[in-house]
Amino acid sequence: MTGRAVAARLRTGAVALLAAVGLTAAATAPAAAEEYQPVETVHTERVQVGPYGMTVGFSTWPLHAMRSLDFTFTPDDGIAGKSGTLTAIGPDNPGARPQPLARHPRKRDVWGLDVRALPVEGQWTFRFTIDGPAGPGVGELTGLTVLAQPGPPMAVSWSISTLPLLGLVAFLVVAWRRVRPGRAPAAGAASG
Amino acid sequence: MEFTASGSVVGRAGPADHAQARPGAAALGLPAAGALLGGSALSLVGLTWDVQWHEDVGPDTFFTLPHLFLYSGSAVAGLASLAVVLATTAAQRAGRRVDPTLGGMPVGVFGRTFTAPLGYLVAGVGAASFLLYGLWDQWWHSLYGFDAVIDSPPHIGLLLSVTGTMIGTIVVFAAGRRHRWGPPGVVVSTAMLLAFSTVTVLGLQGLDGVVDAVAVGLAFLTTLLLVLASEFASRRPGGGLATAAVLALLQAVFWWFSPWAAHAYADLVGLPLRDYALAIPVMPALMPVCAVAVGALVDLPRWTSRRRTGPGRAAGLATGALGGALVAGLNGVQQHWLYGTHLPGTATLAATAALGAVAGLAAGLLGRGFGIMLRGVADVPAGRSAPGVPPGATAAATPVSPEGAR
Repeated sequence: MTGRAVAARLRTGAVALLAAVGLTAAATAPAAAEEYQPVETVHTERVQVGPYGMTVGFSTWPLHAMRSLDFTFTPDDGIAGKSGTLTAIGPDNPGARPQPLARHPRKRDVWGLDVRALPVEGQWTFRFTIDGPAGPGVGELTGLTVLAQPGPPMAVSWSISTLPLLGLVAFLVVAWRRVRPGRAPAAGAASG
Repeated sequence: MEFTASGSVVGRAGPADHAQARPGAAALGLPAAGALLGGSALSLVGLTWDVQWHEDVGPDTFFTLPHLFLYSGSAVAGLASLAVVLATTAAQRAGRRVDPTLGGMPVGVFGRTFTAPLGYLVAGVGAASFLLYGLWDQWWHSLYGFDAVIDSPPHIGLLLSVTGTMIGTIVVFAAGRRHRWGPPGVVVSTAMLLAFSTVTVLGLQGLDGVVDAVAVGLAFLTTLLLVLASEFASRRPGGGLATAAVLALLQAVFWWFSPWAAHAYADLVGLPLRDYALAIPVMPALMPVCAVAVGALVDLPRWTSRRRTGPGRAAGLATGALGGALVAGLNGVQQHWLYGTHLPGTATLAATAALGAVAGLAAGLLGRGFGIMLRGVADVPAGRSAPGVPPGATAAATPVSPEGAR
């Protein structure tokens, strides 16, 4: 085969590759901002953080372990001129570290957590600190009940999800037993 | 598409094979292998982009642009594998000899309904598995919501599926090692698998304790793949270092690309960056910076023993263990350096490095074995007849096309 013919074949392959990518991409348009779901609040709790009253909003209620939702944290007079931290203390992490309160990516006028799940069931506490025009304050939302995780037990989910790994290991074991590379000559002496 | 042997055959293939062979087929090996490599590259780009997107921007749906890259990667690899398997099956049914250097030893599938070159079979099964785990992931999100958690069970299933496709890609290039494109393809595809695996090992986060399980997993995979590349290169020392150098190149490119792509896409769809987004390239930051040193380390016995009978087993074990200890022990230091996090305690560092050494030892042994297996992936054992290949055909009897001869 001539070099020109090989080049033509390569071009054909490249075009086929690009066509496959293009068709796949064209089949579905990328999401635009307006396609992202708005932040809904179906339940609220009140918490007093020093001098600041604040509403904690939940996009689903009741809460279940591992089921993600949007949290919103709205001081009564807005977030302008304020900063703060949130420490989510669960049954499994009494020494949780505080994280800065950040604006919700899809609701920029309040603080929040987007599509976040609390990982384990039990009683949770949200500890807030806020620093603003009225000075610093600390407050807690206690007794936040998180119910059991829905769906199959995690052991089942992990068993299903690691099947490719088990298949790969089985394949390698079979291949190893057939080839027996341990009996091969030292690497540098092997044929190249 | 033809996947039969070309007319120019050296070695033990019989005259009948020459009669059945068709010229120029070997040249078609590269486009098919290139399609697999392209699919792997799409998956890799999609993954680093997606991880950065969730870190710096946030919102998720099933059809984001990074997700489309991930889906396209497996789709391209799957379609390429399917095309090759069908072409090989047709060639085998027509009575033509199947060239094992184009994808590896052909094996029968569903009895002998189909004839599949080993590499394309592995890659295709990975792509099909990705499709199934995509459905599993969709169901998972319908139950648990679109939480951007990389180490959820379905995500790990998806990552493992892509891993299968990438392993198939390595096998395909290894089978073509007597073609000009084979050895460099093994280096590049192995580096891509290593880069991709830095995210897959995050599935071990749940096992973290005194020992950093993710760092140990990373040490195992890094050592395994670098030793594999070193062993595969055999008499041409430098396979481990070359693979680590490609990994470093990927790390450098993605260091720029990942934040740029995430932020450009956010601008495109009108979403803001998160408050407190660090803009540190997440996936490149997971890639071990010390991999180049480890690559050189695992090549060292081969360099120093080139004029003798080959490196001793003890030297191979020692470099594997040392490489594993380096990757595991330095992982926490790298994260501290990049993110300014606390350095792990002395006990954690020591325990992680020690377990990394054990993992590196095992990885060195396995990597050497896999490297040897890859060198012979186009061989058909004497006395065993694979579909379309006469008994006794080996890599020594591979067709050498004029443009692919070394």
